[in-house]
Formats: sequence, structure tokens, C-alpha cells
Amino acid sequence: MERIVGIDLGTTNSLVAVLEDGGPRVLVDPETGAHLLPSAVAFLADGEMVVGARARELAPDHPFETILSVKRFMGLGFEHVSDDDRRRYRFAEGREGVVRFAVGGRAVTPPEVSAHILRELKRWAECALGDTVAKAVITVPAYFNDSQRQATKDAGRLAGLEVLRLVNEPTAAALAYGLDRADEGTVAVYDLGGGTFDVSILKLRGGIFEVLATNGDTRLGGDDLDGRLAEVVLAELPSVRARARAAAERAKRDLSAAERTEVVLDLPEVGRHARAPITRSDFERLIRDIVQRTVVPCRQALKDAGIDPRDIREVVAVGGSTRVPLVRRLMAEIFGRPPLVDIDPDEVVALGAGIQAGILSGGRRDMLLLDVVPLSLGIETMGGVFTRLIDRNTTIPASVKETFTTAVDGQTVVDVHVLQGERELAADNRSLARFKIPIAPMPAGVPRLEVTFLVDANGILSVAASDLRTGLERSVEVKPSYGLTEDEMERMLEESIDHAEDDVRERQLREARVETDVILGATRQSLVAHGRLLAAGERERIDAAVSALDAARAGEDYVAIRDAIESLSQTTEPFARRIMDESLQEALGNRRLEEL
Amino acid sequence: MEGSQNEDRQCWRCGAGVGTGLVCPGCEAPQPPPDGDLFAVLGLPRRLAVDGEDLERRYHAASRALHPDRHQTAEPHARQLSERASAALNRAYRTLRDPVARGRYWLELHGNPLHRENKEIPPALATDVFETQEKLEELRTKATPALHDEVRHVHDALVARLVGLEAELSRLYAGANGNGMVDELKRRLSEIAYLRTLLGDIEAALGEVSGAHSRH
Repeated sequence: MERIVGIDLGTTNSLVAVLEDGGPRVLVDPETGAHLLPSAVAFLADGEMVVGARARELAPDHPFETILSVKRFMGLGFEHVSDDDRRRYRFAEGREGVVRFAVGGRAVTPPEVSAHILRELKRWAECALGDTVAKAVITVPAYFNDSQRQATKDAGRLAGLEVLRLVNEPTAAALAYGLDRADEGTVAVYDLGGGTFDVSILKLRGGIFEVLATNGDTRLGGDDLDGRLAEVVLAELPSVRARARAAAERAKRDLSAAERTEVVLDLPEVGRHARAPITRSDFERLIRDIVQRTVVPCRQALKDAGIDPRDIREVVAVGGSTRVPLVRRLMAEIFGRPPLVDIDPDEVVALGAGIQAGILSGGRRDMLLLDVVPLSLGIETMGGVFTRLIDRNTTIPASVKETFTTAVDGQTVVDVHVLQGERELAADNRSLARFKIPIAPMPAGVPRLEVTFLVDANGILSVAASDLRTGLERSVEVKPSYGLTEDEMERMLEESIDHAEDDVRERQLREARVETDVILGATRQSLVAHGRLLAAGERERIDAAVSALDAARAGEDYVAIRDAIESLSQTTEPFARRIMDESLQEALGNRRLEEL
Repeated sequence: MEGSQNEDRQCWRCGAGVGTGLVCPGCEAPQPPPDGDLFAVLGLPRRLAVDGEDLERRYHAASRALHPDRHQTAEPHARQLSERASAALNRAYRTLRDPVARGRYWLELHGNPLHRENKEIPPALATDVFETQEKLEELRTKATPALHDEVRHVHDALVARLVGLEAELSRLYAGANGNGMVDELKRRLSEIAYLRTLLGDIEAALGEVSGAHSRH
């Protein structure tokens, strides 16, 4: 059966998991065994691209070539980029549309950067499962708007993954916790990740996980805590921004367990470390106002859910930042009980995504998620007013029909501007897209166009239109405000396929060469240590196979290298068996001696 | 049950009779939502009195059968229908579980809609409304902690009033039997709607004030 994987595409780290008979399992890096893939992508000057732990290590020396926290930019436009962002990243020229990083001499969109992370996770999963992986569930912050969700889906497509479902991170976490607790009742999930904050209130009943309300802040997370601490260090040393953030991050982690630590800043240029002592209470004083920003979303979610904090049965802590003791104290204060932390807060979302992947493939028919749309959806009407069509916290899928007509005689197109948010004026909400629907020219007010707005189970909007006079479906041209058009997607897909082939060839070549070095080293050692076991003429045959492999290794064809490796193994096989027999006999002989 | 055109509906995939069901009893294929009203979607008669527990059970059972997660591996047409019908099911549940939304919808079904734009103050609330608005005005000009507490007190009293009105609405629904009560229903619904809006205004004002305080 084709496997569906669950992916937590995080701000700081990403993970991949699957559902197995025994439950969900996180899949690991085939080379290092790591569970977490740092969400870092470095675009180096020679055109080389590095993903994960190595990219993060490169960040201090290549601050503008390394994209960290790309998730913060998903589905955003240039006008949403802050001054602080401009200090940390270099952006391509442009004033409108989707934001683009200037890296490695080209302009790269956030979905393309995320696709590199997803492709690496796909590789991990394929190595672990021994099969190709083409379908995935990807988690997103519950408070992600339509553009941010669409951008995530685009990233999946660019990575060669069919994204079957986008699942909200707090809901996924609830699924992971709910799996071993046959509980009924209302739970709160507080998810403070690297760059985003979500809170969801869920009702659990008979395997149904019904989200009552959700709220959050997509620009609030552990990054902000690091930044605040780094500012203190930077006040004295403004030239080492990226290193200061890394030092701050390490100190923050220390202070989750220890009462005091030191911020240690590497300064290789001057050949020393800069050290500054800091206590947990110093740190808490620095970050208190940031952490406090999670209170209002929690209260709003409780109110929208119509739930009194006293009726919350459990509070689930999700995201690495919930390890900070101040955050845990605040959670206990808001919800009146200490948070549950028995599943690793870094892994719980991925495990939930793995379970949802299992639900979609029909493996868990006892569980079902009913999620909601996090922000109200509506259209711009006369005078720039925002008219709500679907209220926030409406269960998805959700749909609404509206009838439109024309204002001018002979009008040939109806233009529908869709926005998302809670403010009264259209201009104050986030523009999602403009939908253009062609109509036959008629006197003003005569056409009757029925437009259906559908938010699917991923929280993504689609629009369909039909002419009520003729009953015919009408095409809808979509112009996303901060997303990729279908044409751009096509072009990127073509490019990514070209690159994917290059990438695969490059990796195969590198791996074949590494393997060559290992086998040549071992052969040479055996010839020296066990030369007396060689049969007549065997040495010449082995030498010939070794030179052939040496020659192949110098070439660019990994298939030729593999063939030469195979031929050397076959040639040395009888010799290797003799060595094995001898060492076995030695071992047995030794034991006999011992026994005597 | 209403909607006679629903009775001989057949499954688009296997041809089995589906009636007003949301999925085919034979092959489990999702069906187009039944014609008629939101009550029919949940298999209920058009009655104002609804048992909340029963409603939730019906909603959960229907969701289990219909949700897109259940039809992920099916053909595109089934997936599309599952989305459309789930959206109809979610709308039905959202409307019927709230007594006020249910009452409004019932009035609409009976060709007697309550106009959302109706801004007239219900006579029974007039005194409270004027007093509250005075206090809010005062609060906007001089935000003293004492005044803040006073408004909070008014807020809590109005919440209690709302709970009472909602309880009366349930009693009205339990005894409801036709068009004789349309006027009373309209009056009660307007009162509740007005009170909800007023409470929203007070909460916004209180929020603003407490925000301003913490900034000082």
C-alpha cells in the first residue's frame, strides 16, 4: 500500500512521521539518526545548496545566504516585511506581490525554500520506508490564513508531494494525546513554536475531535525570545547579529533547566569568547511582555468557544518554547491547571500528522477531526466595507452562496475581492485574491450571478460561479494577492524537476565515491594483513579490479562506479571468505583455550 | 417528513434507494444534500424544540460518514460531493444548535423573517439600554477604576438577564405549536439579539479601557 506521511513543517525544525500498527513513529535522518531537521536552507555562491543541520551551522558565516525561519514569510507580501526582517534577510527588488529572497544570485520565493526542506524529509522517509513517498499530510499553524495555507500546499507540490490535507498544528497535537486517552471533555492546546503561536479549544467525544474555537498570532514565537536576549548582547557588539542569536538561543535552553547560565558568544576573529552571566529571572524580565502576548488569544478562544476556564479538563503544551518555565506558569494561570507535557513538545505535532495520514488512508476509522476556519472570510462591498460571509470558528468544510449583479450597463466582468480578517473596513483586513467572472453584457442590475464560496477541509477557499438566468457554470480567473499564480507554479515545477534530476545524480555520485573509498581502503588493508591467504594469480586479478574502480571513481558516471564496485566485490569474495574462516577459527580456538 | 421528492432518491453510484440519507446505505457514497431545509439535513422535523444531545449525536454520526477525510481515496465526484454535503451539514448544525439562530431560521422558513437591520430598541430593554449607554459614554471620557467596576457590574447583570431570556425562549419552544406565536417569538428574538450586541459593545469598551490602564 502506498504510504502517506505526516509532516510537521516547523519554523525552527521539521519532522516526518508515519502511522504504524503500534502507533505513530517519527522517521529519522538515514545518515545521522536525527529526529529533527533544522528548517534551514543555505544557497552558497558556487550554486551549491545545503539543507538542515549543516545549513544552520553555516548561518553565522553566511547570514544572508542562509534562510532560517522561512515559515514566517509564507504567504506574505513585500509590504508585510518588517525593518527587523530587512536587517536579517536580503530581499529581491519588488514592491508588490509575493515576497522574494535574494540568495545565490536569484530571487527565491518562500514556497521554493520550504520545498527544499520538504524534499529532504521526503528523502528521509523514503530511506526509512524503503519505498517512494508521494503523498503527505502537512501541518500548519491554526491561525494561518488562506494565503499562508496555499503557500504551504504549493511548497508540497514543488517538492513532489501531493498534499492530501493541511492539518492545524494544535489539532494534530490533540490527536497525538487523544490516542492513548479515551477521554471525553474539553481540552485546550497551547502551541508556542519557533515563530508562531496558536491556541485551540477542542471538545473530545467518542473519537471525534471537534474544534470549538482557535486563535493565535502568526508572528510570535521562540524566535522573539531569542531576539530579545540577543539585543542585550548586541548592544555592545553590533557586528555579530546571527551569532548573537545563536548564543541567545543556547542560553535560553540552559535557563529552562538551570537558574543561571552564561551567554557565550564565539568571536573567532579575535580568537576568544565573550561571556555574560544571566539568571533565569533576568531572562524572564526580558521576555515577560512577549510571553504575555499569548494571553489575549487564549481568552478570546475561550470566549468564542463559550467555555469557562474551569471546564477545561486538560491543557496540552506544544512547541519547544513551552519548555520555558515562565510560559508554563502563564499557561497554568490562564487555564487554572498545570499543562500536560508527557509527549515531547517538539515531536507531538508530527506524531499527530502521522495519525491524520493514517486516518486518510482508512487506517483509523474510529477517529475524526472537525476543524474550523480561524479568521472570518468576506468580500469588499460598496464604500470599502468588509462584508463577512463565513464567520471565524465555523466548522470546515463550509460554504456560502451570494448573488451578484452589475452596476453599469454592458458590464462584461464581475470582480470579487475576497479578504480575511475581523476588522470592519476591507482595507484593514488581509487581501486574499481577486476573482474575475465574465458575464454577457446586459443592462445594469439584470444579470444574476450566483457565487459559491467554499472553504475546504484544509481551510483553503475556492470560488465557483454560475449564471442564474442560463444555469451555466462560469469560469473564475483567480489572481492571488500574495501567492503564486498557476503559471508561476507550472514554471517552478518544471524547474524543480530539472533540478531534482541534477540533485539525484549529484547525490548518487557523491555516495558512490564515498563507498569506493571505504571498499578500497578495506581491500588494501586486507591485502597487507592477510596476504598469505591469497591463491595463485588472485593478487593480479584483485589489482586489476582495484585499478578499474580507481579509474571509474575519477569519472562522473555513478553507474560505472557502482559496476566497478560490484566487480571488485565479486573478485575479492573468495579471499574475503578465507579471511572470515580464519578469524572464526581463531575465535573458536581462543575460546577452547579459555575453556581449558 | 416533508420533501416528497426526496423519498425516491437513488444513489448516483450504485442505484440503491437513499431517501433523505446523506450517504448511500449500500456503497457509502456521499449523496447531494437532500432538498428542503436544514432540519431535513439532520433528519429532524421542522420543530422549534430541539434536544441538544440528540442533535449532537446526529451531527457526529453524519460527520463520521460524510467528512472528506472518509472519502480521500474515492473518485473525484465522491470527494466533491463529500465536501459539498459536509458544508451543508456543518451549516445545519451551526444554525440549529443555537436557539436564536434556529428561531430566526424557523421564521424565515415560515415566510416571516426577522430583519437583521431592525435597530429599534425592544421596549422591555429600553431603561437598561439608556442607562448602560450613559455609563459607557462616561467611561469613554473619564476612565476611573471605580467607573470601570460599575460598568463591569452592569455587564454581569445583563449577562444574567440574557440567560433568563434564553431560558424563556426554550420554554416557548417546548410549548410551540404553530403560527399563533410568531409575534411573541419575534419579540423574544429581537430582545436577545439586542442584548447580545449591547454586551459586545460593553466588552469592547471594557477591553479598551483596561488596555489603556496597563499602558500607563
